[in-house]
Formats: sequence, structure tokens, C-alpha cells
Amino acid sequence: MIPVLGLLVGIVLGLVLEPTIPQVLQPYLPIAIVAAMDALFGAFRAYLEGTFTDRVFVVSFISNVLIAAAIVYVGDQIGVGSQLATGVVVVLGIRIFTNAAAIRRVLFRA
Amino acid sequence: MTAPGDVQQASAEQQPERRRPAVDASMDLLNQILRQPVDPDYEIVTARGNEPSSRWRWWLAAVALVIGAMLAIAALQTTQSAPALQIERTELISRIKAAEAEQDQLRARATSLSAEIAALREAALGNGATAKDLISRLNSLAPIVGDRAVTGPGVLIVLDDAPGNSADARDRVLDLDLQMLVNGLWQAGAEAVAINGHRLSNLTAIRSAGDAITVDYRSLNRPYRVEAIGNPRTLQARFVESSGGGWWNELAQNRRMRYEVSTLSAVTLSADPGMVLRHARQRQP
Repeated sequence: MIPVLGLLVGIVLGLVLEPTIPQVLQPYLPIAIVAAMDALFGAFRAYLEGTFTDRVFVVSFISNVLIAAAIVYVGDQIGVGSQLATGVVVVLGIRIFTNAAAIRRVLFRA
Repeated sequence: MTAPGDVQQASAEQQPERRRPAVDASMDLLNQILRQPVDPDYEIVTARGNEPSSRWRWWLAAVALVIGAMLAIAALQTTQSAPALQIERTELISRIKAAEAEQDQLRARATSLSAEIAALREAALGNGATAKDLISRLNSLAPIVGDRAVTGPGVLIVLDDAPGNSADARDRVLDLDLQMLVNGLWQAGAEAVAINGHRLSNLTAIRSAGDAITVDYRSLNRPYRVEAIGNPRTLQARFVESSGGGWWNELAQNRRMRYEVSTLSAVTLSADPGMVLRHARQRQP
């Protein structure tokens, strides 16, 4: 319940307050969102499997976002930023799809 | 030497340890992503059986909040940046239009100022014999150098790039091609030449800037219309024989560029606004 409420409140806050992200951090926003989606799907699957814990979710989310941003940052410094960003999206995308499929199997038994 | 039986036994012992048959080792990274899509820590921590503390509950809420805010901000940014780009584009176009209008205005002002200079000059020269001589020399030279609008018979040459969007720059009209053409026209005895309405003088530059050819630093649009005033009986024939005519004949035949020469019974070419007064001297009393 708490995460869903938090998500909704966050969306509303973001829409209402319209905070501006510093120019330096803007390229990392899409990557951070993909990492966050990966963490969310993973957490939901763990929740369905009965193994969800707040601590692991918080730690895995923060570390995933930081690592994804760091990979893109290093890529930017060595001139392959967009390629590494694609790599991050592909890897996290595969995980999202696998987790979504598992969630679907548990929820709909299909 | 080991007996075949020992080998079989050893592999049978290893079998339960390896849960899955080893797939291609080079695929290990992707396989691991597929096999372990959920953070393994979830299972480890649950197996340890730690009590959930309320402190982490708050962290969870904060993280959920951050994720929601990120989604909202990203969506807002993408929807807002699209019209912003469009606005920027239209603004640039309007700025170009304004600059062009200003340039036209300035040119008109330069023309009227040079007319004023001519009137002042005539007033200052007075009525003496030398003055009359000077004025007649001015009147005969001004049309030739491009300082005065002229009317007369001549030729019209229409040029354009080769049909089809060829990437080859040689299939397009280049500044060099226009230079060769104009030089051919001068050679053929043209008295006044204009490209797309821009009168040429011996100070006019024909050069390319970016993708466009500029005459007098004004960019031209295709097709290029070159008008020349000269002796109607000889101008066209002499131009075809000149180096510029030969150059363009080849371009039209080998590169299929548009190259049409026609005669004009009467055409008016305006004065070159780039002609300015560079040297003046007060009349000796």
C-alpha cells in the first residue's frame, strides 16, 4: 500500500510543482526511470513470491539507479554514452520483461 | 589411465550439482539475466528472517515518491520540449525574414543616397566646359560599371541543378559554374549582367556560402536566371563560342543540368546597390 500511495503522491507532486532538473542530470533521467521500473517490477514479483523486504528494495533501487547513471556517465566521458545507455536499457528491459511475465503467470495463472 | 567406468561415475556425481545443462558459455551473461531477474537478496534476507523495521518503511515511501516524481517530470519534459523546438524554429524563420527585410530597406536607402550623391555632384560641378565633359564621361561610364539602371535587348539564360536529388556536388550548379558563365558573357560583349535580379559589377563576388550561391553576399534561390544586355545580333553567338558557353554546354550534356538560352527584346537591369562613392575631391575654385 505504502509504495503505491508514494508513487501516486510523487506523480502528483511532480505534475504540480514541476521541479526543474539541473541540466547536468537531465541525460540520466530516462536511465534512472528504466532502473526504477526494473526495481519496481522486481519488487512486485518478490512481493507475490512472499519474499519482499523494504530494505532490499530501497538498497537495490538506489544502487541500480546509481550504477546505471555511473555507466552512462563513464560512457559519456569516453564517447560511447549513447551506446552504453542502450546497453543498460536492453539489460534492464530483459529483466523487466522476464519479471512481468512471471508476475502475469502468478496473477492470471496464464 | 582411468577405466571408462570411473569416468562415468564421476560425471554421474557431478550431475546433481549442475542444476541445468551448461548452455553456450558465451551466452552466460544473458542467461544469468534471464535466470535471475529478481534481486537474489530478497530471498536471502527473507531466509534470514529479519523483522521488518519501521525505519525502512519510511525509506520505501520516500523511494516510491521519488520514482513517481521522476516519471512525472520526465513526461512533462518530453511534452514540453516538443512545442519548444517548434517555437524556436518559427522564431528563427521570422528572424531571418526580418533581417532580409532590413537588408532590402538598407539597399533601397543606399540607392536613394547614391542618387542624391549624383544630384549633388552635378550641382557641385556647375556649368563649365570641363564640368560638361566630366558629366558626359560619367554618363557614358555609369551604365557600364553598373552604377545606373540600364534597358536594352539581350539574352536570358536559365540554369538549374541536374534533375533528381543527386548527392554528387558536381550535379549541382556551383559558384564556379556561375563565374564561368558570367565571364563568358563579359567576353561575348555583354554590357550589363544580372543574376536573379542582382546586377553585377566588377566588384561583385559570386561565391558559395553553405549550400547556397551568393551574389553580392545575398543567397540565390534556384533556378538561376542570368540576364545580360548586349548587341542582340552577336551576344548569343559569341557567348556560345566563349569558354563559358563551352563549359555550360558540357555541363548540360554530361550532367544533364538545365541550361536554356533565349533572347530578350528588352530587359531592364537595376543599378548595383553595392556601388558606393569611394573617392571624392572638392572642386578647385
